[in-house]
Formats: sequence, structure tokens, C-alpha cells
Amino acid sequence: MYVFVLLLLSGCTSKQTKKTTPETDDSNIVVKTKYATGFAITHTNHYTRVDILNPWLPGENYATYYLYKKDDSGIPNNGIKLKIPLQSLVVNTFAYFEFLHRLGELDKITGTSDGFRVYNPAILEGLKNNTIADLGDPFQMNLEKTLALKPEAILTSAYAQRDTYSERVSEAGFPVIYNLEWMENSPLARAEWIKLIAAFFDKESLADSLFTEIESRYRAAEDLVKNIPQKHTVMAGDNFQGTWYVPGGNSFNALLFRDAQLDYFYSGNKEGGSLGLDIETVLTQFGKAEYWFGCTAKSYEELAAKDPKYLLLKSVKDKHVFNNDNRTTASGGNDYFESAVANPDLLLKDLIKAAYPKRLPEYEYTYIKPLQ
Amino acid sequence: MKSKTSIFILLLVILFAAFIGDIFTGNAPISAAKAWAALFGTSGDAIVDEIVFNYRLPKALTAILAGSALSVSGLLMQTLFRNPLAGPDVLGVSAGAGLGVALLTMLSGSAIYPLISSMGSMAQVVAAIAGAILVLMLILGVSARINDSVTILVLGMIFGYVASAAITILQSFADPDSLKVFVTWTFGSLGAVTWNKIPLLTGLIFIGIAATFFLQKTLNSLLLGERYASSAGLNVRQMRIVIITITAVITGAVTAFTGPIAFVGVVIPHFARAFFGTVNHKTIIPATLILGSILLLVCDIVSQIPVANRTLPINAVTAIFGAPMIIWVVLKRKKL
Repeated sequence: MYVFVLLLLSGCTSKQTKKTTPETDDSNIVVKTKYATGFAITHTNHYTRVDILNPWLPGENYATYYLYKKDDSGIPNNGIKLKIPLQSLVVNTFAYFEFLHRLGELDKITGTSDGFRVYNPAILEGLKNNTIADLGDPFQMNLEKTLALKPEAILTSAYAQRDTYSERVSEAGFPVIYNLEWMENSPLARAEWIKLIAAFFDKESLADSLFTEIESRYRAAEDLVKNIPQKHTVMAGDNFQGTWYVPGGNSFNALLFRDAQLDYFYSGNKEGGSLGLDIETVLTQFGKAEYWFGCTAKSYEELAAKDPKYLLLKSVKDKHVFNNDNRTTASGGNDYFESAVANPDLLLKDLIKAAYPKRLPEYEYTYIKPLQ
Repeated sequence: MKSKTSIFILLLVILFAAFIGDIFTGNAPISAAKAWAALFGTSGDAIVDEIVFNYRLPKALTAILAGSALSVSGLLMQTLFRNPLAGPDVLGVSAGAGLGVALLTMLSGSAIYPLISSMGSMAQVVAAIAGAILVLMLILGVSARINDSVTILVLGMIFGYVASAAITILQSFADPDSLKVFVTWTFGSLGAVTWNKIPLLTGLIFIGIAATFFLQKTLNSLLLGERYASSAGLNVRQMRIVIITITAVITGAVTAFTGPIAFVGVVIPHFARAFFGTVNHKTIIPATLILGSILLLVCDIVSQIPVANRTLPINAVTAIFGAPMIIWVVLKRKKL
């Protein structure tokens, strides 16, 4: 069946997007990213070229933007032209609230998705005062409302499949800025995407210094545990309808564990996403793990009620279980899904505080919370 | 006869009103006057023109196309299988289309990505059509060997279950984002059909519906039972294959472009029979077409009413909003 569909699909003619690299010219200054691999910024005398690279097709671009300040004459036609700094923006990805906040551009947001899940107080205020429109389901944003806002650009997550929403707003003349920071695995690489969004507001040098600070804070946190004599063992993820999703060995969370000097069973694994395990595998591989991060329950009682098998885990017996619910709103907002991308140092410190509390005596948890 | 003509005229008036109503309502604050101007020229505001002409108009046309197509394929299935519960999905074609989309969604980040990327949102349509054709081939293969409608019905449902099972397996392997992309597809969406997709959708549906009009007599004799039909000189086996093909093509086409839309196909034929008090396909086919279009247009208007800033999935609105209408008819007539 699978082969049949593949055959059918491959029968269609495909037109490939051509690989386009900026012409090398003396006036071109390529901005080197330190960790991020998903975007490239090039400055010329007249404009700034931003390339979002295609993670599913190495060597190809997902999108190209030409950012100009005054006039767009002489700009190549193989990308989206945008006048910067942007004055209004629809944001369909909560992870960018904090980037925009740091850059002082939060007030440019005129629309966002799923308002009830927002944590950021300024965005909530905007939604309440109707200065920010709620465009509904992030996977199916309201097209009419978006167009009525007439935003200068729409920031949305890119997936391996082009969605009709992005196609339609683009056709209507509203540029879509695709964010693919979630495809980056290293915590610092994700945070470096602040440089990408800053380019659209002509604030690259501010972003540079903000990122340098993030980086040095992250390295300082790393240094706190560099000489740990005995690493603690850790498990992660949770059971979702019978399948236990744990981070792959090359994923964001696994890399955080590595930097926090936590011993993770799948650290040698190459997978960047998550791995689906059954409960028996979890019990054998993680039964003796000392700490458990990313649990979805609020309390040990809830855990026991959900499935008594949880009680077999050492982390549960020792009461070393943490969820990500330290900063939440009543209607379901959680800062872990918003500002954590911009604060990898705090994510790291949370883990250090939990597993090696003596290394961070004064620190209080930011995103994680011990189960009651 | 005269009263039937006047009912048809009345229904066409309601259809036109629902069509205009669908174009005049939506989430962007656009006055009726502006919408009218945008529809027949320009409102002076490019965004209003864009919303009315490039979003609301194709959406309303899709509602008519999908509503009429699904209702007629439901009618064909009910007549062929002489089963009041039959609908467009009994052949498993919708599930096949779903399987195509599920495969596409779960594999989209893999080796087939360059192809998907080059097709844009059309990739989903192609995958759904491929899945629907696969199930159609299986059904036709079975129909050529088995000369019993009920057996074919059961096998069709089994194909549907197998396709659904395969979808479930794919979902269990999927990452949460792909899962959400796929689940969103199952909500159904009339707004996903853009102008460049309308010609293909219209073409496929038109062929099916036109063929149905030529089958009026065949369908009427099938109502009296296959034995009667064959003694009256009808090649039942051949006709069965023709009816199955038509149903699969139009159901597959609609599902491919809009995602699954339940309820309409099963219920509208009953509604049409109740409304006109006849089972004669000469009346019921056009009645089904018009009533199906009206129901889907009205459901689209209802689905635009924001609930907690979200619009409701059309696939759910059809049942939730359509069911009370049908129950009212049943209670009035005390039977279907």
C-alpha cells in the first residue's frame, strides 16, 4: 500500500526549488552564526538577505527574504522583499514572544493564535484590550481575521508539508516568515534564532549582544557542574495513551541533560526528535533512574491514580519527579513553551538545582516544579 | 407535478439565499454592501476584495460542490445496497483518502520531501486521491468476482476498517506535530479549496453527477430488488460496477479536497425522500443535489460563528447542526 502511494507520487512531475546562494561580492558581509544551522544572514550595501535553510532538503532554501530600509530597487527577484523595521507582525509561535520582548518589539504584535494558552502578561493584556487579535487554532489560523489585520508579516512554524494558510496569506500579498528554530537540537542554537527575528526589526547588533549574554550565562551554569564526581541518572518524558515518548539522544532535552552532567540512557542515540517506548521498556531502562523530568502529573497521588506501575520507578519512590508547570495560567498558558527557548541557561539551572542542589543554593526553579 | 415544481423553485431560492448568506458572513467585519461590491468588481479595499473573491466565493462554491456530491453518492449507495444506513463512506473510499493523507503527513520529512515540497498544498490532494483510487481498485476487483451487493457492502466496510487501522498505526508512530497536522485534516475544511483547485474538483464531480442523471431508470428498477431489475432486462453486475465507480470518484474527489465531511451523505437522501414524499430518482436526484448544497452552505455559515475564538470544524457542524433538522422531519412524518 505504502509502495503504491510512493509510486503514484513519484509519477508526478516535480519542479525543484533552485538552490540560490548570494553572489559573492566584496560588499557582501556574511553573518556567521555560532550554533544555529538553520538560517543565514548576508549584508550588502542596499539590503540584508536572510535565508531560512531547508532542514529536510540539505543545501536548499526553505525561504529567502530581502530586507531593505528605503527603496527596493536592484533587489533580486528570487525572494520575498520586506521593508524593515517591521511595524506589525502576526505571531503564530509562542516561543518568539520572549525574543521580541528582549528586542523591545513586543508591541508590534497585532495577532496571535490560541489566546487562552498564552502566558506572557503583555500579550494577555493586549488580547484583553483587543489590541492583539486572537486568530484561533495555530494549525488552522483564521484567514479572514488575519487578512483584516493587514500585518506586514506573519511569523509561523514551518512543517515538512506546506499548509494552505501560509500559501493563501502569501498569495494575498502578506509575507510569511517561517520559523524552524524547533528543528535545531542544541539549546544555544535555538536561542540564537533571536538574531534571525532581530534582522526583521533592524536590531541585529542588539540581538548579538543579547545572545552573547545568553551564551555566557549558559556556559557559566555548565561550569557549576563540570567537576561533579558522580553523575546522577535521569529519565524523561511521559506516557501518552500507552506510548512513552522520551527524548532522542541528540534532542534538545538530551543535550540539556548532557550539559547538566546527568546520565541519560539514550545519550548515545542519534535521534533528534522523540522515541516512542512501551511501559515495559521504560521500566527496564529507566526503573533505576534517580531523577525524572518532564512528568505531566501535578502530584504523586495523581501519578499513582493514573497507573500504579509508576510507583515501581526509583525516581517516584525517592520523590525526585518534576513537571514543567512552575509558571502557568489557569486557562492553560505555560511559560515553559514561551520564554524557555530564550532562556536555555535557566533550563539548565533548573536541572542543576534539582539534581545537584548544593551547586546552586540560592537559585529558585524557573520552569520546573517538584511534584506535590 | 405542479406542486413539485414550486417546491423546486422554492428550494432554488433558498439555495441562492444560503449562497449569498455564506458570502456575506465571516470573521472579518465586512458590510454586505462592500461584499457585494467586491463580488461584482471592487470594493475599493484590496483586502476586502481578497477575502470576498478569493476566499469566501470559492468556499461557498466548494460547499455547493461537496454538499451535492456527497449527498448524491449517499443516495447511490442507499439505492444500490437498499440499506438506509449506507453513505458515501461505506465503500471505504474516504478512509482510503485518509490513509493517503496520513502516509503523506507522517512521511513528509523523509525522502519524498522534495516531491511534496514542489507540489505545495496540492500534495495532500494527490495523496488523498491515490488512497481513494487504491480502495476503489480493491472494491472493483471484488465486484468483478462477487455477484452479491450485500457481500460487496461488507467487504467495502472491511477495506475501510483496514485503512482506518493503518491510519491508527501511522498515528501511533507520528510525532505530535505531524499528528496535529493530520487531525486538522480530519476536521474537514471548505476553505482549503482555492481557485486553482476548483476546476479539477468541479470536473470530477460534474462527471459523476451527470452520469447519475443517466442512471435514473436503472436506479428506480434497483429499488424493486436486484432480481426484479435483472428480469426487467438490466445487467445488474455491470450497473453495480458503474454505480460504485461513480460514487468512489465523487466521494474520493470531495474528501481529497475538503477532508472528510460526515453526515451529509447519509442523511440528505432521506431528507429528500421525506420532503417530496417519493422515492422516484427523477425527483430525488435533483432534490438531493439542492438539499445537500443548502445544508453544507448553512453549516459553513454556522461554523464561522467563533467559539472561544476558534471556528468549528465543518465535519462536526454537519452532524450537530444537521441532526436536529432531520429529527424534526422524522418526528413530523413518524418515519423516514
